[in-house]
This record gives sequence, C-alpha cells and structure tokens, in this order.
Amino acid sequence: MSHDDHHGVMIPAPGPEFVAHEVAHHFSTPVQEFQAGKLGFWLFLATEILLFGGLFAAYFYFHEVFPETFRVGGQQLDWRLGALNTSVLLLSSWTMAMGVRSAQTSQKSKTMIYLVLTVLGALGFMVIKFIEYSAKNEHGLIVFSELFSGYDEVTGQVAWFKDYHGVMKDVAHGHMFFAIYLTMTAIHGLHVIIGAIAIIYVLYGTSKGRYHAGYYLPVDLAGLYWHLVDLIWIFLFPLLYLVP
Amino acid sequence: MTTNTPAVDVQTTQPKAPRENYLNCTTSFKSWALTLDHKRIGLMYLIGTSLAFLAGGVFALLVRLHLWEPEGMLFSNPTYNQIFTLHGAFMVFLFVIPAIPGSLGNIVMPLMVGAKDVALPKLNLLSFYLWVIGAVMAVAAIVMGGFDTGWTFYAPYSLYTDQAVVTIGLAIFVLGFSSIFTGLNFIVTVHKLRAPGMTWFRMPLFVWAIYATAILQVLATPVLGITVLLVAFERLYNVGIFDPRLGGDPVLFEHFFWFYSHPAVYIMVLPAFGIISELVTVHSRKPLFGYKLIAFSSIAIAIISFLVWGHHMFTSGQSTYAMFAFSFLTFFVAIPTAIKEFSWVATVWKGSVALNSPMLYTLAFLIIFAIGGLTGVILGALNVDLHLHDTYFVVAHFHYVMMGSIALAFFAGLHHWWPKMFGIMYNEFQAKIACALIFIGFNATFLPQFVMGSRGMPRRYATYVPEYADYHKASTIGAMILGTGVALMVFYLVASLFIRKKAKQNQWGGVTLDWMCPTPPPHLNFDEEPQVVHEVYDYTTLDYETLQRDCD
Amino acid sequence: MINYLIQEPKQDPQGDLPWDGVPAHEIDFWGQLPVQAGTFDHVDGLFYFTYAVCIIFFVIITGVLLYSVFAHRRKTWDQKPLSNVTHNTPLEVVWTIVPLIIVMIMFAWGFKGSLDMTTVPHEAQRNTYKATAKQWNWTFIYPDATQSIAEVYVEVDKPVQFILESTDVLHAFYIPVMRVKRDIVPGRYQSVWFHPIKQGVYPLFCAEYCGDDHSRMYAKVHVVDAATMADRPWNKVPAEDKPVERIAYGARLARQLCASCHKMRDTDTVVTGPSWLGMFTKQGDTYVGRQREVLEGGVTKTITTDDAYIIESIKDPTKKIVAEAPYNKNSMSKFDTLTDDRVACLIAYMKSLADN
Ligand code: HEA
Ligand code: HEA
Ligand code: HEC
Ligand code: CUA
Ligand SMILES: [Cu+2]
Repeated sequence: MSHDDHHGVMIPAPGPEFVAHEVAHHFSTPVQEFQAGKLGFWLFLATEILLFGGLFAAYFYFHEVFPETFRVGGQQLDWRLGALNTSVLLLSSWTMAMGVRSAQTSQKSKTMIYLVLTVLGALGFMVIKFIEYSAKNEHGLIVFSELFSGYDEVTGQVAWFKDYHGVMKDVAHGHMFFAIYLTMTAIHGLHVIIGAIAIIYVLYGTSKGRYHAGYYLPVDLAGLYWHLVDLIWIFLFPLLYLVP
Repeated sequence: MTTNTPAVDVQTTQPKAPRENYLNCTTSFKSWALTLDHKRIGLMYLIGTSLAFLAGGVFALLVRLHLWEPEGMLFSNPTYNQIFTLHGAFMVFLFVIPAIPGSLGNIVMPLMVGAKDVALPKLNLLSFYLWVIGAVMAVAAIVMGGFDTGWTFYAPYSLYTDQAVVTIGLAIFVLGFSSIFTGLNFIVTVHKLRAPGMTWFRMPLFVWAIYATAILQVLATPVLGITVLLVAFERLYNVGIFDPRLGGDPVLFEHFFWFYSHPAVYIMVLPAFGIISELVTVHSRKPLFGYKLIAFSSIAIAIISFLVWGHHMFTSGQSTYAMFAFSFLTFFVAIPTAIKEFSWVATVWKGSVALNSPMLYTLAFLIIFAIGGLTGVILGALNVDLHLHDTYFVVAHFHYVMMGSIALAFFAGLHHWWPKMFGIMYNEFQAKIACALIFIGFNATFLPQFVMGSRGMPRRYATYVPEYADYHKASTIGAMILGTGVALMVFYLVASLFIRKKAKQNQWGGVTLDWMCPTPPPHLNFDEEPQVVHEVYDYTTLDYETLQRDCD
Repeated sequence: MINYLIQEPKQDPQGDLPWDGVPAHEIDFWGQLPVQAGTFDHVDGLFYFTYAVCIIFFVIITGVLLYSVFAHRRKTWDQKPLSNVTHNTPLEVVWTIVPLIIVMIMFAWGFKGSLDMTTVPHEAQRNTYKATAKQWNWTFIYPDATQSIAEVYVEVDKPVQFILESTDVLHAFYIPVMRVKRDIVPGRYQSVWFHPIKQGVYPLFCAEYCGDDHSRMYAKVHVVDAATMADRPWNKVPAEDKPVERIAYGARLARQLCASCHKMRDTDTVVTGPSWLGMFTKQGDTYVGRQREVLEGGVTKTITTDDAYIIESIKDPTKKIVAEAPYNKNSMSKFDTLTDDRVACLIAYMKSLADN
C-alpha cells in the first residue's frame, strides 16, 4: 500500500540487537494490537479443535459399533513408541514455553536455543512416527504403496489392508481401526509440520531481533499453536494406543 | 450539525470536486490486488459473489427451461443432475454464505463501529483469495467432468459416482476456511476496534447480526471442513467411515453435513436480518422497535441453531428421542425469529415511511420472509415432514428464504449503501420497476412449487409425471420474469457507474457512523477518530436543513 | 465440454412410460393435498392447521405493512415519524407467547402423529412385504414369496408393512396418497407401514436422490380387494405356449430393469452396458448367439452368447465379464432374485430383437 503517510505508533527496541516495532496503522495502541492478535488466534484454535472434533466423533461412533476392531487393532500399535512420542511432544511444549518466556524478557540467544530445541522435538516426533508407519506397512496393516488402489468387490476388502499375519482375521471390518488411526495421525502429523514451519518462521524473526519485551506476539502465537498440537496428541495417544 | 461525531463536520464542508477517497487514492492494479483496505476487499467480494450469483442464476434458468416439458426439454438425465447440483453449490457456497458478510459486511461494518479497518487486514485479504481459489476449483471441477451429487453430497452416492467430487470437495474445504477467517476477523473487530463511546448496546443491529453470524462461521464451518475432507479421503483411499460396503455409515455423513449446514442457513440469513434491521429504521426514520430483543434474538438463534440439524433427517429413521428433541428445538428457533419479524413491522408502523427502492426491497423481504419462515415451521412438524420431505415444498421453502429473503435483503443493502460506496446514485425509476418484476416473478416461480410439492412432486427430478406439468410451466414463466428483473437491476447498477449522478452525502438520512464519514469514505474512513455520544438510531439528532442543502 | 452439456433428451417414443395408466392424484376439498388413501389423517389435519396459521399471520403482517406504507408515507423531505416508541413490553410479551403456544400445539400434534406412523401394529407385521430398491427400480417380494417388479399389489382395508432394503445407494420409499416416506439406507433394517382404505392405482416415487435415473424410479401401487388379491395378478407370467405374450412381457421387464444400461431400441442412447441389438442373429428358425470375448478370473476366453451365458450374466454378472472396453470397466449389478420364468421371457425378448 502506498499510504506511507499514515504512521502508526512505534514500540522502541530494548537494545541494539533488536529492532523497533511499528503498530499497524489501524490500531491506536500496542495493547489493542496485542489483544486483537491473541483473540483472533484463540478463535482459530477453537476451529482447529472443532475440526478434530469431527474425527473424534467418528472415532467414538465406530468404537461403539465395532468394539472388537478397536480392541484388537489397538493392540497392534506399539504403545511404547506412542509413549515415547508423547514425552517428546511434552518436552517440546516445555521448551516452547521457555522460548516464549525468554522472548518476553528480551533474551534473544536463549529464545533461539529453545526454539531450535522445539523444532528438533518436532523432527523427532516425525521420525518416530515414520518408524511406526513402516512397521504397519510391513505387517500389511497399512500398505502405503497400495493406498490409492481402491476396493475389491469380490473380497470386500480395501487394497491397502493386507494383514499379512492375519492378526485381524477374526474381526469384522478390521481395516476400520487402521483407517481411523491413519486419518487422525496423518492430519495430526500435518499439524506438527505446520507448527514446525511456524516456529522456524519466528526463529528467523528472532534472529533478526524482531521480538522482545515490547513485541513478542508472533512467538506467543506460534507457542499457542504448538501447545494445541501437543494437546491433541494427548487425546490421540490413549484413544489409539491404549484403546479403552 | 449535531450528530454522533461532532468533530467531523463533513456535510457542510463537502467540496465540489471529489475529495480523496478509497476508490481514487491509488489506482495501480497492484494497489487493488494487494490492498488491505476493507472497502476495496469488500468491493472485490461484491464483484465476485455477484458473478457467482449470476452464474448460479443462469443454471437456475436452465433448470427451469428443462422442466418445461415432463420429459425434459434440454438435457439428458445425468446432465440435468449436474446442472441442478451446480446451481445449488454455486448459490450456496459461492454466493449466499460469503456474499453479505464478504461484501457489505466488509465495507460497512468497520464504518459502523467507527474503526479504521478490520482488525486483521491481511487475513481479510487472504479470505478473499481463498474464496477466489475455491471459485476457480469449482469451475475446474466442472471442466473435469462435473459433479452430480446434489449440493448435499450424500454418501454413498457421492463416493461411487465417477466424477470430480474430490475437486469440488476440496474447493468447499477452501471456501470454508475463507468463511472461517472472515468470521474470526469480524469477531475480533467488534470486540477490539469499537470507537470510544460505542458501547455494545449502541452498536447498530447490522453489527450485531454480523457478529452473531461470525460466531456461527467460526464454530460450525470446521465440521463441514472435516466432512468434505473425509469424503475426499474416502474416495482416495477408502477410509470406510461413510461407505456401507466397508462397514461405514451413510447416516453419519448426514449428521456431519447438517451439523454444519443447518447453522449455515443462519450464517446466510442473520446478515440479511441485519440489513433489514438497519433499513427499516432509516427509511421509516424511527428508532428500531425492541432493539435489545432483536440483538439478543440474533444470539439466541445462533445458539439454538446448533441443536436442530436433525430436522433434515426426519425420514432417515432416527430414534424417537432424537425426533422429539429436534422437532421441539426447531419450533423453538422460530420464536426469536418471530420476535424480529414483528419488531420490524412495528418499526414501520407510524414511521415516516419513504418508498424508495431500498425500502421497497425491504418490504418485499418482510412479506416473503413471513411465508418462507412459516413454511419452515410446517416442515418442522414431524408427521407432516414425512409427507413433504424432499418434495418441491421444501424447494419452495428454501427459495423463499434464500432467494426471496436473503438475496432480496442483499439487493436492498446494495441499493442502500450504493451511494455510500461510490458516491453516486442509480436510476430510481428503473430500480422500482426491477423490484416489482423481481417480486412478481419470484412469487410466480415458487408459489406453484408449494402446490405441486404438497401434491407429491419429488425434488431433483429430471423428468416428472405429467400431472405436474402446469405448475412447472407456471414456475418457468415466473423464472423468466424474475430473470428479466435481475437483468434490469444489473443493467442500471452498472450504468450508474458511467452516468455518475452524484449522490448526497447522507443519501437517506441515516444516523449511524457509516453515514457520518465522508462519502465515499477516505482510505482510513474517518478524518478524525469518531466519538459516540448518542444512543443508536436517535433520529431526533438529525438536522433536516443541512441534509436538504446537501442534496442540492 | 459443450458436448457433455448438450445431449439428446431421453425420450420413450413408444409411450410405455412407467406411469402410463396411473391417474393423476385426486385433490382434496381444500385444494392442496392429494386425497388420502390411507389412515394418517393427522398429517392432513396438522398441515391445514399450520397452513391456516400461516395465512393468518401472513395477512396480519402484510396488512399492517400496507396500511403503514399508505397511511404514514413520507410526503415531504423532513416529515417526522408519528411516534418514536422504542418498545412496548406487554405487546412484546404477547407476540412471544402467542407464537410459542401455537408452535407447541404443532409440535405435540406432529410428534403424536409420528409415533403413530412409526409404531407398526401387529396386523401389519403379519402382512409384511419386502421392497428392494436399486438404481433405478423397485422389486417387491410378497408374504407368499412371489415377486413383482415396478408394481405392487396390496389389499384394501388390510394394514401392510414394507421392509425396505437397498443394494447400492440411498433411496426413499414415498407414496403420496399414503403420506409415508422412508429413506432406505444400504445395510440397514428399516420399514414403513400404512393402512390402505381406498382402492385405486397410485404412484410410488423414489424421494431420495440416487443418481442418473432417480426421476424414473417409479412404481405403481395397486390397492385392490381381497378377490383380486387372491388371484395374484402380479404373478402372471404368460405360459410357455404363448410366445408373443412372453416376448411382450419380457420387453416390459427389460424396459423396467435393463433399459437404463442396455440399448435395445434404435432410439436408445445408453452405452453403460453392451447393446442387445446384434446379440443374436436369426438363421432360419433358430437364433444364434454372437461370439464374445469375456474375462473369467482374469483369463480371456471366447464364448457364444447362448441362454446359459445370459442366465449367468444376469444372476452372477461378475463371473464372466465382457472384455471389450468400456464395458469391462462398468459393472452390472446382480439380478439374482429374478425367477427363472421371468429370465426366460427376457431371453425370448432379446432373441426377438433379431427378427427385424
Ligand atoms: C437461509 C435459509 C433458511 C432459513 C432462514 C430457514 C429457516 C427455517 N427452516 Fe429451513 N431450510 C433451508 C434454508 C433455510 N431455512 C434449506 C436450504 C433447506 C433444504 C436443504 C436441502 O435439503 O437441500 C431447508 C429445509 C428445512 C427443513 C427440512 C425439510 C426437509 O427436507 O424435510 C425444515 C424442517 O424442519 C426447515 C425448517 C425451518 C424453520 C423452522 C426455519 C425457521 O428459522 C423459520 C423462522 C421464521 C418464521 C417462523 C417466520 C417469521 C415469523 C412470523 C411471521 C411470526 C409468526 C410465527 C409463528 C406463529 C411461528 N427447513
Ligand atoms: C441462494 C441460493 C439460491 C438461489 C438464489 C436460487 C435461485 C433460484 N433457484 Fe434454486 N436452488 C438452491 C439455491 C438457490 N436457488 C439450492 C441449494 C437448490 C438445491 C440443489 C440440490 O437439490 O442439490 C436449488 C434447487 C433449485 C430447483 C430444484 C431443482 C430440482 O430439485 O430438480 C429449482 C427448480 O426450479 C431452482 C430454481 C431456482 C430459480 C428459478 C432461482 C431464481 O431465483 C434465480 C434468479 C436469478 C436469475 C434468473 C439470474 C439472472 C441472470 C441473468 C438474467 C443473466 C445476466 C447475465 C449477465 C449480466 C452476465 N433451484
Ligand atoms: C447398472 C447397469 C446395468 C443394468 C441395470 C443391466 N446391465 Fe447387463 N450389463 C451391464 C454391463 C456393464 C455389462 C458388461 C459387463 C459384464 O459382462 O458384466 C452387462 C452385460 C450383460 C450381458 C452380457 C452381454 C454381452 O453382450 O455379452 C447380458 C446378457 C446382460 N447384461 C443382461 C442384462 C439384463 C437381462 C438386465 C436386466 C434384468 C441387465 N443386463 C441390466 C450393465 C447393466
Ligand atoms: Cu432411487 Cu432416487
Ligand atoms: Cu435446517
């Protein structure tokens, strides 16, 4: 926009390694800007929760209809890997919280260390997820190469569900648990990746000195998002790995 | 002048040459394409959604022409099925849901609360481009073979039919996020950017309505998002959640779909209520009757509407308890709406009623909405719905509310704020003719549909039993009249942009902040931050003398 | 893109539309609903009650509006309103309470009625039919296990229940004169019941969108007396010594069941399944099938289209699949409930296509 003549309020930088922040032109005060960003983001988090809410509704519905599928299917998942992933995420939530804290107190290098650690946590999570997925692939419970090959009218089975070891052979609609497992964890995994990208973005901004005690909204928001990703996993873990 | 904004004495200082405003302050293509100005984004929304309406209208005319003959005049059955699906999908997802919030909401709401812009301008621009992407994907889906599922995408047909369902599903996902971001933005704007003195109960009702809509957009749309995503997954890798061959449940799809789509009908209608609330007071020059009750009833509707989705599924074999609850709550939601309707009528009563074109559209709305809403109540009755479900009675009901009420309210708002948006007036005489044509044509189109519907004519029929032929013919003729009216409206509105007959500063004598800033508004809306000192809709503060002078 | 928009409209030039011979609905005294042939009077009662409420409110609202517009019309630019009231609590209470009472009446009436419609009486349970919906036709199985297609006979004054079943997508069972409608969800158990009290022929529509020929998914409902019922008119396949009638019967079945996929007349435009024209050729007095490449278990074979192959194609279509594209991609659904006698009539009809 070429309306450079409208200058907003400036928040001065607390030190030479930081840059000042200009409040957007349509806000009258920094507080207003901060609160608007916060409120908007909370609303966004609400929509994310509702999005997963649909998946949880499907989970509970089919858990009710095919309890056996979920019981036996749940046993096929390795709860130790799940638990490991849970701790990785919890840990990264903590590093994220520390990152936000140090941004609020204008500790630039500390912020960066914590953010890097959080990104590493996300990476670790994805690696473990990958190990889990390959195990499922080997047992034919989710054959990734056949994922899009459709449905076989004669056997009444989907192509990606081969069940080489026959663990689900006595269970009606055995693929259902894995379908829901795959859908939920894949969408969650996508959120992990988006969260990691957001953190890398604020990491870059931190390195440029944009965030400090006067202005740390983006770090705060990335943190909120990361906690949400964590929170959703806290629900996914017991529901999928420790099927009630 | 004694108004809400003593600091801004715009009416007497209006210069002869157009002063700088949001339309002419910058002119490059980039300054429009990347604008963060809510008014420019609103204008782009206006153009986009209007085009979607005209496209949907052309599909509607094709539907009506085809149904002239019992055996169908134009298309094969599969093609007809695609045409009505396109009509429904375009009208719902590309027109009614985004139209009023996206265009008039964007342009007027920040003015009304006295803000310089919406709270999150970049997100606002993103919403618009998501809408564009969704529209492009929808058109791409047509080219890729079309889709013939009906706008409801009921499983399992939508899982088996061999067409571009995945593309349109993802288009709806994208459009959903466009809608969510708009809603989110407006909630934050209303909470955080109100001008000093603009208390909650001094907010114009259009703002209340947009606010209630925004809550629905944020809370209901994600469920639609996940639903269409699951349909896409189902088609891509056979999840099995909705596919009965794999143990899935098609009725679960219906629950998911209507959990969104019922609140969605109020996402569509609440902004229309807002427009009507504004217009009845301005054009009757009388404070709105029962202001607080109307404001609260918007919120009440928003809440109850989450609990009635099952009334679209009375024939799907729900448990008796579910039927009981859904039917009961459906009737309940009619009460806050009835309060609104009566309050509007009471506002017109003993007013100083101006019969200009926005008011004519408003009166048409009040009459048509009474029919549309009351026939909804008929459908809410459990046993009667078992007869009327999926017949043309339902088709007529929802056109009375969606075309006859919402689209007409949209037209009303467009005529009302047109002088504000562009500083020019359209041809009032032609506007009145068009309004009459639309009113007559509309009723001629859809009244016969109530009759044939209650006599058993099912909907989504490419061919039909000859006993309904007369009603279909009447309906088709009505649609032609309606189409003529719409075409005339498009004509004089576009023409006014070239004729440039100058509008008054405060064309209708409104007292809300949108009429207090210069016309058309400058880039940052107000020359100085407005201070609100009066109660809302206090017409005694108007100085008719200055208004009169301004008009010469 | 254009050529998929504009296609030949589907016509049935020979006039054998499924609804031929069904009279238009007779309309009741108030001019809105078809005269009921069943016993769910509460539907009509509540419909007209709400209808009356609608008209009353509509008249009040429109009347007040028109009066205000004419009486309080703004004549000068600065005309002030006659009143500046902003609320009137008694009035507002009244217009909240009155609609509330009215809708609660409607709710109770409607709910009670729907209980009546969903609770199947014993008498109807003892007279249970099965209706199978598939794209895009209806098959009915009677209590005595006989079957009829695209038409059904029920006895007057005898409550009847239909168990509904779908083999593919959603459909809905809708008889306007009986005021019954029920969605048919594949894989679920569902039923409707009604009590026919008026003889006649009535339409049965499919009321849930189910694809291409949704609008042709039509069946005739014959409400007949006990004597006609005992005669089982639906079960009269012409005897083998009446070849002409058998062909005509086969033709009717083919129009109802097969014409949505197979071309059997020069004017048909469907290409989902292979055309029946040319399936047989006439050599002297005998009909000879054509040579066909088929896939059986993935292996290509050449066979002759004889009676046995056709019977197999109807009862177990996936066993041998026509190898020629595009038919090998499309799937024909099973018609394994068709009786042998009816299949024989179908074959007779296919053969007769070679006559001209
Ligand atoms: C914006 C759109 C909109 C709006 C506002 C409404 C409003 C209402 N609708 Fe409608 N409806 C649709 C859009 C809408 N609907 C659509 C699109 C469908 C079909 C979808 C599909 O299948 O494709 C549908 C279908 C539909 C059904 C399902 C029919 C079926 O498929 O079997 C039902 C059933 O209960 C229903 C009920 C209602 C009710 C009770 C209201 C109420 O909110 C109405 C309240 C209004 C009034 C009551 C009028 C004003 C008041 C007075 C004049 C005072 C007097 C009042 C009383 C005495 C009560 N609607
Ligand atoms: C906002 C929503 C909306 C609107 C405004 C309309 C508007 C109209 N609709 Fe729509 N309709 C739906 C939403 C809407 N509809 C939905 C959701 C369905 C259900 C779909 C389904 O079953 O899945 C439906 C279904 C539907 C059917 C039933 C199809 C069937 O079940 O088989 C019919 C039939 O008459 C119909 C007709 C019309 C007509 C005549 C209009 C008219 O009001 C249209 C008026 C507009 C015009 C006539 C346009 C004028 C344009 C020009 C004159 C061109 C000018 C061009 C330029 C200047 C470039 N509609
Ligand atoms: C849903 C579409 C559909 C319907 C309805 C249908 N068919 Fe078919 N039919 C096909 C398709 C596709 C094929 C080719 C693939 C195959 O052999 O299964 C076919 C093949 C056949 C063949 C083998 C044809 C040949 O040339 O070898 C016969 C015989 C046949 N159908 C008879 C019938 C009869 C009789 C009916 C009605 C009772 C019927 N079909 C209804 C789709 C249909
Ligand atoms: Cu079967 Cu519609
Ligand atoms: Cu609804």
